[in-house]
Amino acid sequence: MSLLSVDEVAVQFGGLLAVDGASLSVEAGAVTGLIGPNGAGKTTLFNVITGLQAPTRGRVLLGGADITRKRPYRRARLGIARTFQRLEAFGSLTARDNVRVALEMRRRWATASYDPVAVADSLLERVGIAGVAGTQVNSLPTGTARLVELARALATEPKVLLLDEPSSGLDEAETDALGALVRQLAAQGLGVLLVEHDMPLVMDTCSYINVLDFGRVIAEGTPAQIQADPSVQRAYLGTARSAP
Amino acid sequence: MTRRWTALLSAANALVLAVGIGGLVVHGVDGLSVILALVLAVPLAIMGLARARGRSVTSPPWSDAMAWSTMAVFALALCVPVYGGARSVRTSVGTVYYLHLPALLLMVALALPFATVFIASLRDLFVIRQPWLTLFVVAVTSALALSIGKAAWAGVPFTWENVLTMLAVALPFAGIYAMSASGLVVVYTTTGIFNFAQGAIGMLMAYVDWELVVNHGMPQWAAAPIVVLVVAPLFGIALDRAIMRHLQGQSLVVQLMVTIGLMFAFIALANMIWSQTDAHSLPHLFEGKGFHIQDVLLTWHRFITIVLAVLLAIGLRILLFRTRIGIAMRAVVDNRGLASLAGARSARLSSFAWALGCALAALAGILLAPETADMSTGGALTLLIITAFAAAVVGRLRSLPMTYLGALVLALVMQFSQTFLSFSDRWTNVIDVFPTIMLFVVLLLLPRAQLEFSRLNMVRRTERISSVRDTALGMTIVFGVMVFVSAFLSQTNLSRFAVGMCTAIVALSLVPLTGWAGQVSLAPLAFAGIGAVAYGRLDGAQSDVRGLVIATAACLIIGAYVSARMLMLRASTTALIAVLAGAFGFVAYLNAGSAVLAGVICVPVGAMLAFPAMRLQGLYLALATMAFASVVESLFFTQPFAVGVGELDVSRMKLFGFQFASERSFLLLVTAVFGLCAVGVVALRRSAFGRRLIALRDSEAASVTVGVNILETKLIVFSLSAGIAGFAGAFLAQEYGQLSAAKNFEMLSGLPIVLALVIGGTGYVSGALFAGMFGLGAILIQQTWHISLWKSLIYLAPGLAALGIIQNPQGAVHAIGEGMAWLLPWRHDAKREREELVEATSEQEVGSLGLEHAFTDADVLLIDRELGITNDVARAVS
Amino acid sequence: MTVPVLELSAIRAGYGRIDVLHGIDIALHAGDVFALLGPNGAGKSTTLAVACGAIVPSSGSLFLCGRDVTGCATDAVARAGVCLIPEGRGIFPNLTVGENLRMATFTGARYRDVVDRAFTQFPRLGERRRQTAGTLSGGEQQMLAMARALATDPAVLLIDELSMGLAPIIVEELYEHVRSIAASGLSILIVEQFAHEILGIADRAGIMLHGRLMHSGPPSSIADELAGAYLGGER
Repeated sequence: MSLLSVDEVAVQFGGLLAVDGASLSVEAGAVTGLIGPNGAGKTTLFNVITGLQAPTRGRVLLGGADITRKRPYRRARLGIARTFQRLEAFGSLTARDNVRVALEMRRRWATASYDPVAVADSLLERVGIAGVAGTQVNSLPTGTARLVELARALATEPKVLLLDEPSSGLDEAETDALGALVRQLAAQGLGVLLVEHDMPLVMDTCSYINVLDFGRVIAEGTPAQIQADPSVQRAYLGTARSAP
Repeated sequence: MTRRWTALLSAANALVLAVGIGGLVVHGVDGLSVILALVLAVPLAIMGLARARGRSVTSPPWSDAMAWSTMAVFALALCVPVYGGARSVRTSVGTVYYLHLPALLLMVALALPFATVFIASLRDLFVIRQPWLTLFVVAVTSALALSIGKAAWAGVPFTWENVLTMLAVALPFAGIYAMSASGLVVVYTTTGIFNFAQGAIGMLMAYVDWELVVNHGMPQWAAAPIVVLVVAPLFGIALDRAIMRHLQGQSLVVQLMVTIGLMFAFIALANMIWSQTDAHSLPHLFEGKGFHIQDVLLTWHRFITIVLAVLLAIGLRILLFRTRIGIAMRAVVDNRGLASLAGARSARLSSFAWALGCALAALAGILLAPETADMSTGGALTLLIITAFAAAVVGRLRSLPMTYLGALVLALVMQFSQTFLSFSDRWTNVIDVFPTIMLFVVLLLLPRAQLEFSRLNMVRRTERISSVRDTALGMTIVFGVMVFVSAFLSQTNLSRFAVGMCTAIVALSLVPLTGWAGQVSLAPLAFAGIGAVAYGRLDGAQSDVRGLVIATAACLIIGAYVSARMLMLRASTTALIAVLAGAFGFVAYLNAGSAVLAGVICVPVGAMLAFPAMRLQGLYLALATMAFASVVESLFFTQPFAVGVGELDVSRMKLFGFQFASERSFLLLVTAVFGLCAVGVVALRRSAFGRRLIALRDSEAASVTVGVNILETKLIVFSLSAGIAGFAGAFLAQEYGQLSAAKNFEMLSGLPIVLALVIGGTGYVSGALFAGMFGLGAILIQQTWHISLWKSLIYLAPGLAALGIIQNPQGAVHAIGEGMAWLLPWRHDAKREREELVEATSEQEVGSLGLEHAFTDADVLLIDRELGITNDVARAVS
Repeated sequence: MTVPVLELSAIRAGYGRIDVLHGIDIALHAGDVFALLGPNGAGKSTTLAVACGAIVPSSGSLFLCGRDVTGCATDAVARAGVCLIPEGRGIFPNLTVGENLRMATFTGARYRDVVDRAFTQFPRLGERRRQTAGTLSGGEQQMLAMARALATDPAVLLIDELSMGLAPIIVEELYEHVRSIAASGLSILIVEQFAHEILGIADRAGIMLHGRLMHSGPPSSIADELAGAYLGGER
């Protein structure tokens, strides 16, 4: 049984089918990729999984249990965490306090062995931005703020982590570090669903990739299979008359 | 499915309409009444049909069908009294009940629009399409309307003549409401600014008209067009250029507060020019002459009002659908950025919208002024705005036809109640407050707001959170100053200062709510009022053992809850805090428990307000709180369990056996209470709960994905805010010594408190203190300055201060304080920040050179010409 | 060489304090079609936003026919002849087709001319003149957006992801229209993901990555770089 599975989900906005019967699953301990051209419905699918958007039909299962009707904050407490494509950090809080908000939702009571500030700082260190713990997020560059979002997501102690284009705004070295971190998180048993446009990162990190186009999964497979798939080339480049 | 349902309803209604008219004809009633019924029903029916055909993609066809059916029922109800009325002449008293039926039918018709919106909102929420639910809602609404009708029936016979009399008043008033509301909608959709000063502008223009007509002897037919078509548009354009344009992109609370400030400023301006010690009255058009329809007089003034409203509806329709500028105004609603990409000058559009809005305000004001005996500056003319809000909200601040419908329903219901129903005692004010009740209900029925994502371009100043220690130090200094100052104050001034400090606590209640959680509330004074009454009522019951148990238990629960949920402490510490809180409750009850209890009583009321807050956002929430405040003002205090008819005496509290009877001791007590509350509030900001509130404000979407329960969080912060305000109210009650139903806690007096807090800085304790001192200043001016001209300052000051907000939307007091903090020897961080700031600004000046230069028409021409040439070249080449 | 119609010079820009573009130089000469390609988040749309005046660059300048118009308002730039068809549908959904076209008359064109031209170029729109634009199909909406843009008789057309969310066959049809527009001598700066479609039309093309213009030149030289930039393999 998959950790998270999306079953025939469709989302309709007025006359537009943003997601059209997409199914995919995320396994624990692995990084699953979700790629596709602009407007393919990736972010909408993320919103469905986290409960920010109700699907027109279809189900979302976490560990086999149907969570389609659960409210977003319940899902978060059940172990679904995410980052956002358009930055949604708490801008007027410091990086440390961003993480603390999430930590404090997880544990209501402090104990002698549990110091939230120290935990927050260690999480920031884990994503590699311990140096900006005391800085207000509004004044951080986008890439760094995205890492704050990542640390915040980790603070909810998730089972599934949804990352929506985490590498945008990062330079190459930072992107490499991010890739290493994502793999490491998966190795610790987390299920990661990664939406990303930086293909080297996707190909290096993911063990399995779903390609979304027009709200449908048009291809799935290992990175090598995906790179060779002509339908993927078509989705990205149009009708491939002179495909390399 | 919905389309078929719409068609079905339409057909049914057509049938009903036909039967109704047929009945009229068969029973041989005169032609004039038939025409009147048709004139009323047919255009609306056509409107309903046109909309049901699905011209607009966004509005649910349901609401249109329902609106249409309402109108049909309404028409039927109009037809029946003619039939019944004809009979009642011949029959005895026994027919009275029978005669009620059409009246009750009319009531049902009037109640149906609520049902319409309600169903529409349910549909949005649950995607419900079952007809049984519709029937259920219709049945419940009807039953409610019927029961109110039966209970409050005044006994006036429901005859055609009476209905006609009612209509002769209701229709012109509907026209006036619709004019004002249309102006509001036009301005809001085009510029995004919700104009609280709409009524005040109308009032000001009515006075200009008065000046021309009464003082300068100009005939009204010349003066009114000058004011409406020349003065008001120019005024609107000036307003746009000088103020409103700079408000775009500011936060909602700032936008609201500026227009609220302007409302006060206009009142002040009118007061200064036209002394309020003299009575003013604007004559009716044609000196109140008119013509008779079946013995009912319809004055020319009212007739012209109706005609103007209809013409205006047509004119606005043509403007918005046939002219380029009108189409551009609708385009701006769809997509502001794209409209400007298409080359529509947004500056010109906004000027045009303001000119139109002000002209409509002026028209409404001039037509309303002769109808109300009260032309006082703060009276009916200015308060027209609330009725306009209610009508505009029916159209969801977008749709003009629905706005007209809202205005019509409002006027009909109000006149119906005035004619056929009677409300007394505790419900005396129901009719006056009806627009606000309708506003509140319609707002509650709006579809649920989407979760808010963060607004990226909102760059905030770095926020330095004061430490609890600093605040405690500051509050000690404030207390010390007060000890010193109070030694030199007279008795009256001491009590004025005490009121100022109480106001500061009221303002403090908004700091967590508005400053941190970003929820705009205009009702702090209403909670203070509830707290005041609660204190007054509890005051005499101190020996009651039950009260003791309640106080202790409440403190225990709150103590435990606060420490567990907000402060994130260990279990043992939580228990300790709870026990301490309980002990405090015990002691406090013995001595001064009522004040604490008064605060506690407000908590559930505040929690109630959190439910609309879950559904509504921004402007709608602000309006809902305003409506709530207005309902409290008019309906709460008159209840026998509150103040009732007479007055409620309140005595000063005792603490450890010491009664704060002297003014000085009471002032110091209130100052100390403010200090304690302030320290508590700052401690809260630094707690887990404080962080959660800021998180909620910054991004609701992100908050839920880390597990924040928004309802719970809003519930707590609304309750907390209400609790603090109620607590403050308890002290206000002690200061006043006596409470009566009509005074002290009006919705309008609450607005300057919010305004002052915004000026001082919503997120800061210092802002609240400033608001208190602002209130004190107002009282001092009002009570001590005897020149009437300067008395206007209490209104003018908020208005002028509002203009200041544009310069410093984050709040002045804290900004000034932080700007000067580097002078303090221990504030190294402030010193560093200042050095960085100086560096940054000097750098920026070089960088921004030439970036902001104006792009003149000459430049456009030049480029056009240049581009034209290159284009020609390009075409020649190809 | 003549002065470029549109020139972006050393543009750095972004949202708030966050820079998305790190020094972009593009010169568009009269009659040129320049294709801007690249993966998401590379800064393509931001480049267009700078070119139409919606975003004021934090440094660098925007020139129209050699005139510095950096910092001018969007509507002024639009009236000067720069027209953007934004990403997603560039239409007003609650206005009818006719009213949408009416919105194009702000740059001085006569309504009748606008309508004639639009309906001869896109006959399908003529059939739906009284229909609310939001109820058109995706392809028709894009046609309306193009018709509206062309009606203003612009000197420069900026097109952002014409193909977004549309089926390939419709995209092909739309690009036939772009091709004919280009043939009429308009200067076009076009942002795309469907690279192969646009490379057949463009005179020059550039690939954007991480806010920088990485490769630029004739389409033939770009084609080989593309798959690498999109589907990866190497950086």
